Amino acid sequence: MIASPERTAVSGIVLGAILIGLGGVLLGLQVDSNGAWCGTGLAPLAIGAFLALAALAARVSATSGRLPRDEMGIVAVVAGFFGLSFVIAGALAPGGPWMFLEVLLLVLVVTLRKPDARTGRWIASSAFGLLALFLLFRLWISYQGSLLRWQVLSVDVPVLSWMPFDFLDPVKRVALGSFTPFEMGFPPAGLDFAVSATLWALGFALCTAGIVLVQASTIEHENDRVHALIRTLPGPVADVVERLLPEEEWREQGLHGLPERQLARRIEALVSERMRRQESLRRALDPSKLLGLTNAGGFAGEIQRAITDESHPETPR
Amino acid sequence: MDGKTLGLVGAAAILIAGAVAVRLLPAPRVVSAEEQQQEGPRIVEPMQLLGRGAALRVAELDEWIAEERRPRFRAARDQVFHIRDCPESVAWLDGAEGQRVERLLGELRHGSREEALAALALVFQLARATEWDPGVLASIPEANAARLAGLAADWLRAWGERGARDPLLAEPTRAAALLYGRLMYMAQHSRVIGTNTSAYERGLKTLSELVGLDSGRRTALGESLQSRHPEAMRKLALESDRLRGFDEEARTAFPDLDGECGG
Repeated sequence: MIASPERTAVSGIVLGAILIGLGGVLLGLQVDSNGAWCGTGLAPLAIGAFLALAALAARVSATSGRLPRDEMGIVAVVAGFFGLSFVIAGALAPGGPWMFLEVLLLVLVVTLRKPDARTGRWIASSAFGLLALFLLFRLWISYQGSLLRWQVLSVDVPVLSWMPFDFLDPVKRVALGSFTPFEMGFPPAGLDFAVSATLWALGFALCTAGIVLVQASTIEHENDRVHALIRTLPGPVADVVERLLPEEEWREQGLHGLPERQLARRIEALVSERMRRQESLRRALDPSKLLGLTNAGGFAGEIQRAITDESHPETPR
Repeated sequence: MDGKTLGLVGAAAILIAGAVAVRLLPAPRVVSAEEQQQEGPRIVEPMQLLGRGAALRVAELDEWIAEERRPRFRAARDQVFHIRDCPESVAWLDGAEGQRVERLLGELRHGSREEALAALALVFQLARATEWDPGVLASIPEANAARLAGLAADWLRAWGERGARDPLLAEPTRAAALLYGRLMYMAQHSRVIGTNTSAYERGLKTLSELVGLDSGRRTALGESLQSRHPEAMRKLALESDRLRGFDEEARTAFPDLDGECGG
């Protein structure tokens, strides 16, 4: 059984939203050293929601205010917003100066970078890469914290660390990037790193997959909407319109996100423009006029033009 | 939107709402064992039996000792609480009285929790009444501290995990861990020049095992120490001089345990 394209897009959006929900649940949980479950707190989610909103606003402004035009479009945008919020909240360090440094980097990369309207994505692959790096960093500092090492890393001090004197032990190493259990949002009993890290990594993967699926399905869904409008024309006419305006160009031509009437006007304008172009090309390639290309000018050329060009103005006698 | 799609969208919405809600799940408070209510007759304020005034109450322990060990315990506590002239720990323990006490300690460790407390009370009194601070002229300067630390380590291996969860023994167990850390720190720094790496490594290995630092998952004793002595636990996870935190905490908690019989 082959599913209709409309159903495929809708299923993609719904499946993506479910993946985002599942991933969000996993990213919102942590397990303490006694095996008890607890939440990761609302503060990181608030920051994630703020950045996701900024990213979506940047996206809307880059596409000249195009908005979802039906229920599934709205579902896709809401799911995408929550997906981005969960991913950002899950990848950022849970608190303290590290979190704000990461927020600053994200603002620079995600929101200030002009979104590419042609791709139809809310978030670029490079931003996902950056978020994955942030998640790795979060996992690393959580690992350090679970071992009660409250610094990103400690570095041997050159020369001092080479000396075989035990009394120099306290100054042989320098701790870099210290943090506290409070900043990390650890439960009072400490963090079970293995289980919590697995939850977060799985949640991140599910949310990311959900966002990608929702994005791709939204493009497909918008194409279905344009296709449905074209198909209200008589069959042969609709075929001609779809040949003049191939599906691959619909997003680039700004057909996505337009209200029904504007969409119809835009298609009319594009069809008219394409037809004019076709006509001018057809004229240029008229066989009776191709001879003109060989006109060498002079007396012979004028005679040739007089014979082949009907619209040539009459010369006064 | 058909009914099936609507249902799936509803499921996704519930999941997303759940993802926000789970973040509000509160972290369970760490309830220390000594905060738990006990029923029936019990030993109150067990830390007094490890403190400087232990002699005033140690006789209370007699009734908690098994019938067959009670006379020997009575004799042992009498001997330990009447040690005079601050003998060296090893010298006293190697004597006839010391050997009897050491054998009894082994039996008490395998008895009830009250007997375990009695054993610990004897160990603390030994640490208080014998000399384990190495002198400049000592031939094996770490011997005394290491010997006493061995008694504390044996107790911790038997009761560390159970004791940390026990309302009666939770605090004494932490005290035993601090005492062990202090004794091994003393053994490590017993030499006039340099430090005893062997004592340091042994102390570190034992404490790491007891608190679960090596496995990455803290034990009940590790949790208990983390909640009451976080600085000692923080230093235990450092790269160097990791016993220092236990030594500092023990000095604060038991200033009279100075290795020189309080003198």
